[in-house]
Amino acid sequence: MPQIPIERHRLANGLRLVLAPDPRTPIVAVNLWYDVGSKHERAGKTGFAHLFEHMMFQGSANVAKGEHFSRIQGAGGTNNASTWLDRTNYFEVLPSHHLQLALWLEADRLGGLLPAMSQEKLDNQREVVKNERRWSVDNQPYGTWDEKLQALLFPPGHGYHHSTIGSMEDLNAASLADVSHFFASYYAPNNAVLTIAGDFEPAVAVEMVERHFGPIPANPDLPPPPDLRIAPRLGSEVREDVPDRVPLPRVYLAYRAPVFGTTEFDHLEVAADVLGSGRASRLYAHLVRERQLAQDVAVYLFPFVGGAAIFAAWATARPGTDPAELEAALLGEIAGLISNGPSDAELERVRNLHAAAIESSLERLGERADRLSMYTCLFDQPERVADEVARYRAADAGLVQAAAADRLVADNRVVLTYLPMEDGSDG
Amino acid sequence: MADLLGAPLPGTPRPYHFPAFERRALANGLTVWLVPIEGAALTNAHFLSDAGAAAEDEVHAGVAALTAQLLVTGTRRLDAAEFAEATERLGIEVGSESSWDSSRAAFQALPTQLDAGLALLAEMLREPRLDPGEFDRLKSERLADILQARAEPGRLADEAFLGQVFDPATPYRRISAGTPETVAGLGLDDVRAFHATQFLPGRAHLVIAGAIRADAVMRRVEAEFGDWQGTGAGHRQLEPRAAGGRRVVIVDRPGSVQTELRVGHVGIDRYDPRYFAALVMAALLGGVFNSRLNSRLREELGYTYGAAAGFDPRRFRGPLRAAAAVHTEVTASAISEMLSLIEGIRGGEPTAAELNQVRDFLVGVFPLRFETTGGVASAIEPIAIYGLPDAWWTTYRARLEAVTAADVREAADALIHPDQLVVVAVGDAAAIRPAIEAAGVGRVELATVESATPGAAT
Repeated sequence: MPQIPIERHRLANGLRLVLAPDPRTPIVAVNLWYDVGSKHERAGKTGFAHLFEHMMFQGSANVAKGEHFSRIQGAGGTNNASTWLDRTNYFEVLPSHHLQLALWLEADRLGGLLPAMSQEKLDNQREVVKNERRWSVDNQPYGTWDEKLQALLFPPGHGYHHSTIGSMEDLNAASLADVSHFFASYYAPNNAVLTIAGDFEPAVAVEMVERHFGPIPANPDLPPPPDLRIAPRLGSEVREDVPDRVPLPRVYLAYRAPVFGTTEFDHLEVAADVLGSGRASRLYAHLVRERQLAQDVAVYLFPFVGGAAIFAAWATARPGTDPAELEAALLGEIAGLISNGPSDAELERVRNLHAAAIESSLERLGERADRLSMYTCLFDQPERVADEVARYRAADAGLVQAAAADRLVADNRVVLTYLPMEDGSDG
Repeated sequence: MADLLGAPLPGTPRPYHFPAFERRALANGLTVWLVPIEGAALTNAHFLSDAGAAAEDEVHAGVAALTAQLLVTGTRRLDAAEFAEATERLGIEVGSESSWDSSRAAFQALPTQLDAGLALLAEMLREPRLDPGEFDRLKSERLADILQARAEPGRLADEAFLGQVFDPATPYRRISAGTPETVAGLGLDDVRAFHATQFLPGRAHLVIAGAIRADAVMRRVEAEFGDWQGTGAGHRQLEPRAAGGRRVVIVDRPGSVQTELRVGHVGIDRYDPRYFAALVMAALLGGVFNSRLNSRLREELGYTYGAAAGFDPRRFRGPLRAAAAVHTEVTASAISEMLSLIEGIRGGEPTAAELNQVRDFLVGVFPLRFETTGGVASAIEPIAIYGLPDAWWTTYRARLEAVTAADVREAADALIHPDQLVVVAVGDAAAIRPAIEAAGVGRVELATVESATPGAAT
């Protein structure tokens, strides 16, 4: 990767600031990670962290509803936010001479969100979010898969048991008092990381950040992190069949995995790529091209940090394929990796694909800033962004095989199968 | 320093220029576009044939897409597994796909792998294996994907919308990948014929962007492509026509908790003199967060997670399309709102604030679009394929800035046709139909998935 110098600062109020100057193009990325996600939600409040994220765009002390977007877009920038199990992030990429605008907007809502809140705005965004759920989950073929995997892999009461989008019932119950309480609990400079990447002078940026964020008080009583400790394995196989409005069956396999940030996670990432990355991967070569059982295949490792991550593999059946045969074929490939670890050629292949993919993501300032925020927020180590390729390369065949043998086993497995509904509807 | 509302004033802008590029022609007609970008960590190579789905005859609809897919399944020398292995060991994943106006085979690589990548790209384009087994596999995957697409309400709405907007003699009435009927009828000979007549150096382009030295790259290109001969048949003329008449077509999908709405009609082509005014008009209708559609349907009414609109200008007139997925209960009201916002863009000028925001966005976001090497390489494509002036991107911002409120009004009056607006609503017909009929926004037709999507060639 290009050598990106990184500077670190910490404001008196606890805000961690990461600076990654790179003047090649006159644009700049601003990225804020708040150390709060759906894992912090309590029973009856599912989906709230994400609904709250929407409320952050409804105005603040000096900013009207809609103005955050109109200011950033009017400056020629792009912006958005997202909520996930372990965090919530807010980000802008814009022409570099507008850096201070993004900092001012972010500071205004962190320093003064509540005066702008109203029941009308909450009701409006509640409907928007319910439509987001309908669009991405309820009205979508296979749309419930990740929600179901989380529910089957993590026990009730665990922070990862429920989905980030939450339930309709809990969204309906969210109140303005919840907004105030959530804001007061988690939205504080000492619970956040701010990264600036791109075309700027570090000294000038530090001065701007001090000016806009410096006066915002810390929260001395941040809630303790949720207890996410969990057994490394499920203990037995868990199965669920889901009749859905889908034309083709799809089989998901999922396992509790070592958490993101451990070397064991890195080893499983290599295993995932050997199995599922590219047309020369084992799943594509064997299930799609040779045996023609599957229409498509994918393998993905969800990089969670509390208790366990998720290793998931899935395949959509070709018309006429029995889902039981497809499941057996998927399991056979995983068993094959445990008995025959990756070859030298496979390791060379996935390492080179990985190195190119890392370069491709760091090419974008927004992505670069997001990764710096991530490593700082989760591990207090932004410099890990420069180690990704080396960490990946450190996984040799034996380590990959051992990680697979340790976790990709029957008593740590969820099998989720989507089946076309009996009425024969093709949708 | 702050403005009247408290926001900080911007600093001094640093100028941004679209990277300078040059084009060189090989003796065989292949146009090579070289875009040196100092310090780029990645290199992109995009081969473009001037032959996409619009070059197919309708009986063979989908042959361009299938040909593009089959290209990456091996060469005379390397079978499918060996070709995948050879490219991926270089860290390269070759993408190959067709659109209406071109077919593209492209890869991104670390600079050290460019030469090896170009050699494999040339081998794949010039001597593809076009293997019968791989053809059968990809064809049946393609057919299954069409089924899958029609099970997804959003993709179904997209497909049904095209089928309702364009008349049966216009190829644009279908998706570029073809219909189940035409794809089912394709044989390997059709792919071989399409490749033999359309994948040739004359009329084709090769774009290479990255930290390259032009002369060194040209030597590699000459070595790999120089003795290739022939000229592609190229595109054919289309005259897109509307299917005619304002109406609401409900595509019944019982039990849907949302309705996927598409609203629009035939739009503009890539050469329309009102191109920039149309771009601004579409953005203020549905191209920014505070666009008229998104402000009203999302931020005021909460009907949807998002509403957007835009033109899809092709070599010939593509669709103008607005889209939103709305809660089933509010479907009729959402349709009325969308229609009145689209119609309401006619007959009056946008406010200065509205116009400035949209224009400033489109102008200001310019450098962000070309942040990556791939973004720069892709930006050369419309210049190459549509024959736009080389100065297209250097004059682009000035041409946008020159758009006035009167231009937007003129474009709206000329390009929005209330009597032609077609609404496609994919949702639970029993739940949404009575209110839609009562809303009186146009003739209401009920369709099934099969009747609403384009079928066999006509």
